[in-house]
Amino acid sequence: MRRSRSVWQWRPWSKKLGRRLRTGPFRGVLGELAFYLGLIFAGVFIFTLVLVAQWMVPGIGIELPEEARVVLDSDLARGGGHHWGRWIVAIISVAAIGSGAFGLGYRLMHLGFSQERISAQKGRLSRWNAAAPPATGPDDESAADNVEGDPKASDEYPSLPAVPRGPALDESLGERLRYRLASVSTGRWAVFGAASLALIWNSVCVVLLAVAVSGWWYGRPRPVLAMLLVPFSGVAVWALKSFLRQVRQIAGVGPTVVEISDHPLEPGGAYQLFILQMGRMRLRTLRVVLVCEEESFFRQGTDVRSDQHVALSKELLAEGPVRVDPQTPWEQQLEFELPANVMHSFSATNNSVRWRLIVSGEARPWPSFCRSFPLVVHPPLMVPPNSPR
Amino acid sequence: MNVTLCRDDATYSAGGFLRANWRVSRVSIEELSSVEVSVLWYTEGKGDEDLSVHYFRRYDGAQLRRLGMVDSQPIHCRLPPSPLSYRGHLLSIQWGIRVRVFVEEGREAVAEHPFYMVARKPDPEALANSSRIDLPCIEPSVKTPLHRRLPSVIRRWRDRQGNSAN
Repeated sequence: MRRSRSVWQWRPWSKKLGRRLRTGPFRGVLGELAFYLGLIFAGVFIFTLVLVAQWMVPGIGIELPEEARVVLDSDLARGGGHHWGRWIVAIISVAAIGSGAFGLGYRLMHLGFSQERISAQKGRLSRWNAAAPPATGPDDESAADNVEGDPKASDEYPSLPAVPRGPALDESLGERLRYRLASVSTGRWAVFGAASLALIWNSVCVVLLAVAVSGWWYGRPRPVLAMLLVPFSGVAVWALKSFLRQVRQIAGVGPTVVEISDHPLEPGGAYQLFILQMGRMRLRTLRVVLVCEEESFFRQGTDVRSDQHVALSKELLAEGPVRVDPQTPWEQQLEFELPANVMHSFSATNNSVRWRLIVSGEARPWPSFCRSFPLVVHPPLMVPPNSPR
Repeated sequence: MNVTLCRDDATYSAGGFLRANWRVSRVSIEELSSVEVSVLWYTEGKGDEDLSVHYFRRYDGAQLRRLGMVDSQPIHCRLPPSPLSYRGHLLSIQWGIRVRVFVEEGREAVAEHPFYMVARKPDPEALANSSRIDLPCIEPSVKTPLHRRLPSVIRRWRDRQGNSAN
């Protein structure tokens, strides 16, 4: 459905549709400057008010007109009448002046700067420019040295910009193979949430039950409360079952250990993988999948949304049924080869390419589980691809 | 504005050296306020843009008048090892040389020349040579000379003969 531009009216609470930027950059700059100026003016006004009401008027002892006295006796100038209220108001106003002045100065300093110049001044220039031959001509503004990467990332390349570092992964040594991969912990906060809900709701139900029973005991029954206790008890039972299910999911499924022969990975490389699953359960299937995901964050109106896309999914192992006992944990060692023409790990503010190993099991009566082990893939320094794609 | 690369296929290896030229024409030098030249990568796609400048140089009016605009101006820089050029489903990583010209009246114009950055092991000899000022463009990959490859070729030929005889 097309909307006529003449009919449409601007509403400040409406969502932005169509183009992400409705106004030009000039209006945005004006808005920012107006905001910072307003912040400074408000801070100066409030700080002056507190200063005059607290120190100047009592010190000088002059007679003020009634309107001025009403303003100076207001709650804002007296800080609500509390002992520390004036100091708190004064500190907040000074903070408003400081943040406004800093923001205004930063915006004015970068007024008229291009996107590239701002990025260059942020110190994102690579130190690889230091190896470039000196150019004849003007002074170089690209002298900023910034190391975006790990000095130990490679023997030949001391830094890998925009490639995530994995020092925590490399420092964890394995028992069978060289490195033990760390899993992304999931479900811990869900347990805390379920525990809090179950605890609070059941406590409320117990108190209400005590009130209802005491009413019957002393001959003053509360039928409405007793009727309300029925649905309340249902919710309490549901919260308790949810909490127990979460606990069973975490405690019942034993830990998963994944070790790898080398890390970070390189496209085209062959690696050994060792997987150990502990606990007591019977799994219908157990799968190990190597996944490469693209992830993007974008603003839609005032919301920040994200989108993921699986660029590559390679099944390394699918086995079933699998029986896991505390005495004999399930273990498997396998070898896999990373495809040659794949993208390396990439991490920026709004976009990323992530690699990970996913170990998932389908079990009964225990709930199914899925554990993720992040990997870092470096650019293929040794293999010259024929095509940039 | 005109930007020319030293390679016709616009493909450079990561960690290698980029050499290019830029030139602004059809504008009198008095009208130019400044010129910014940058080698950068940025993302395209569904997500918001990420941008990182690898090489940046700004020429103000006095520097432009001193250089003159008749000849094209060189760009030398060593490329970083990452990120490589990429074209995916949600995002693409694009490398390019961007020339931004500011005119006296506050207007500006931008020209950009994209190129691909691919992975390749740098040649130590090429790296040593490229540290000189008279830097050549990207060195071609050094092939093993024939007299060194000859023994392995003869050995393979003999193995093949032996297999066919059996």
